[in-house]
Amino acid sequence: MLRMEIALFLVVAFVAYIYFSTEKEPTPLHRTFSLLLIAVLANLALDGATVYTVNHLDTVPELLNSILHRLFLGTMVVVIYLFYQYIAILVEEETGQPRKLDLPARIFLAVAVLGNFLLPLSYTVTPEGNYSSGPYMMVPYGAVAFYLLLCAGLLLANRKKIHRKKRQTMGVALLIEMVVCILQGLNHTWLITGMGSTLMTLSFYLTLENPEVLRAELVEQKLSMLHLKSQVNPHFLYNTLDTIRIQAQLDGNKKVADLLMRLVDFFRISVKVDRAMVTLDDEMELLEAYMELMCYRYPELRCEYDIDPELGDAQVPNFILQPIVENGLLHGLKNMGYRGKVTISAAKTAAGDMEIRVRDTGSGFAEGKKAAIDAMLQDYNKQPAKLTGNSIGILNVQKRIKLLCGRAYGLSYTENETGGVTAHILLPLKEEAK
Amino acid sequence: MKKLRVLLVDDEIMIREGFKRLFDWESHDCQVVGEAADGKEALTKIDSLQPDIAIMDINIPIMNGLKVIQLARIKHPDMAFVIVSGYDDFAYCREALRLQITDYILKPVNYEEFGTCIDNLKIALFRRQTPRREDAQEERPIQAIARYLQEHLAEDVSLSVLAEEFHLSAQYISQLFKSEIGVNFLAYLTGIRMERARKLLLTTPLSVAEVSEQVGYGDYRVFTKVFKKSEGITPSQYRRDFMDGGQ
Repeated sequence: MLRMEIALFLVVAFVAYIYFSTEKEPTPLHRTFSLLLIAVLANLALDGATVYTVNHLDTVPELLNSILHRLFLGTMVVVIYLFYQYIAILVEEETGQPRKLDLPARIFLAVAVLGNFLLPLSYTVTPEGNYSSGPYMMVPYGAVAFYLLLCAGLLLANRKKIHRKKRQTMGVALLIEMVVCILQGLNHTWLITGMGSTLMTLSFYLTLENPEVLRAELVEQKLSMLHLKSQVNPHFLYNTLDTIRIQAQLDGNKKVADLLMRLVDFFRISVKVDRAMVTLDDEMELLEAYMELMCYRYPELRCEYDIDPELGDAQVPNFILQPIVENGLLHGLKNMGYRGKVTISAAKTAAGDMEIRVRDTGSGFAEGKKAAIDAMLQDYNKQPAKLTGNSIGILNVQKRIKLLCGRAYGLSYTENETGGVTAHILLPLKEEAK
Repeated sequence: MKKLRVLLVDDEIMIREGFKRLFDWESHDCQVVGEAADGKEALTKIDSLQPDIAIMDINIPIMNGLKVIQLARIKHPDMAFVIVSGYDDFAYCREALRLQITDYILKPVNYEEFGTCIDNLKIALFRRQTPRREDAQEERPIQAIARYLQEHLAEDVSLSVLAEEFHLSAQYISQLFKSEIGVNFLAYLTGIRMERARKLLLTTPLSVAEVSEQVGYGDYRVFTKVFKKSEGITPSQYRRDFMDGGQ
């Protein structure tokens, strides 16, 4: 029978390894599950040990056997308690109502652990195998009955407020544990309690704590927020801005009217994200609108363009320049009080590709930052799919260039001798069909 | 040349005010004769005021602008329309072309550049009047010049070239354009060059550089610049927009 305990231990250890290797936010729920994993592992290890000792009563000293047994069933009580705790927290999260049963649950735990170590323990020897018995056995059975009832009560009382999937998972897990315990109670030589706790842990893990499930849920939430944001009718925005622009011009404020015109241009072009590739001219138009607005806001900011006019028709991935320039402004020129210059140039390379350079006279890379950026751009594929952060813009640009143009192309940074940095965007130059 | 009568149609008063007061109609030989805020009012005003040009928003109450144009065309086949719309999608563009709208511009309207649009309208109105007669003898000088320009678009035509060809003084020809069509020579030439360029971009697989050459621009960068100024988008974008929408 020892084989089963070893197998179960390995399964749970593997789950624990995966679980702990994904960094989780330390919410009460995740903390409880972490504790649960550790308790189950301890329980399974002790389970295996007692399965051996209880069947070798003649060779193992009785004191050792008794200590192992009390520890084994003690951890089992803790495991069942943690099951309850986990479900209670989940129910609390789902319903928004505070947990009311924690005090009785903890008092019971204290009493049970006390009983576990004080009540007399004896062994029953049968031809099929030995098992522990005596008044002491009230503790594990009592704990299972008590906590399973608490859980079932919690679920039933709040069944309408709990998400269907979670309700089913917990219900099934409870049922498994109950069936296992009843079987164990009916046939004392089976020694299968480890199976119950393992199955219950697994069912929680697979449906509620699985990193993929959690991550997908998070990303989905973020995306839906972004999606909602983008649902603001752009025409409402343009039309309103345009009305304000005309009013400004009617009032004789040509400057405001021009700025609003550029803002409308910027929004109008940037909303057209349905196309993966655009011409360099289109991309430059967006950038010019953006830079004109930025230069107005920061009068000591200047911008120069040096674009080979023959490249105007070249296809480039949509929306790559503005994020790079914005990045340069926020991380380089901002530190100089937005005093300085951005130079955007595009030229053919000797190899027949196209290189776009975004050069700024900003503060340059902070100590060690260059290496970090280089590494990130080099290993763009291995970066976690995060939706926020400083470098998300340039990482996104890198990913899209690699995806749309091939791995030979992409974004890299160099430091200027005179200060500031230069972003180099290497892109393929496809001749337009003649 | 008589002043062109203009009707402004937009449901937003600010847009109408902007057109009325921020564009120099006087210097373009135009006169705003009325305004309408919805489709029904637009039709009524077209009937009562008999404008030469209507500046139309598409998205207007009661009856949309395209429907107005369709109905107005029946009674007023010679009227020109300029569609002004924030809906820069292709469906409208194509519908507009099918209705033979003389021009289509996008909001936000740049009033300094709106003059080009009016010039194009004048050219279109002039060309609509021009009878297509093979008998060159009965042509008026301006019509002969227009025909010559149409045939020599790709060449380096100038007032002095025309003067030599037609045995008239350059100054006189220049005045002819102003008085007969209402636009100056260069605006006329650019207008018909852009018209040809649009046609070539949409109906031939010629590259932008080749189109540029065929419409008389040796330097295709200049061509791109002029095209962008007149159409609001680059030649390649123009072609792509129409191809995409046509799928």
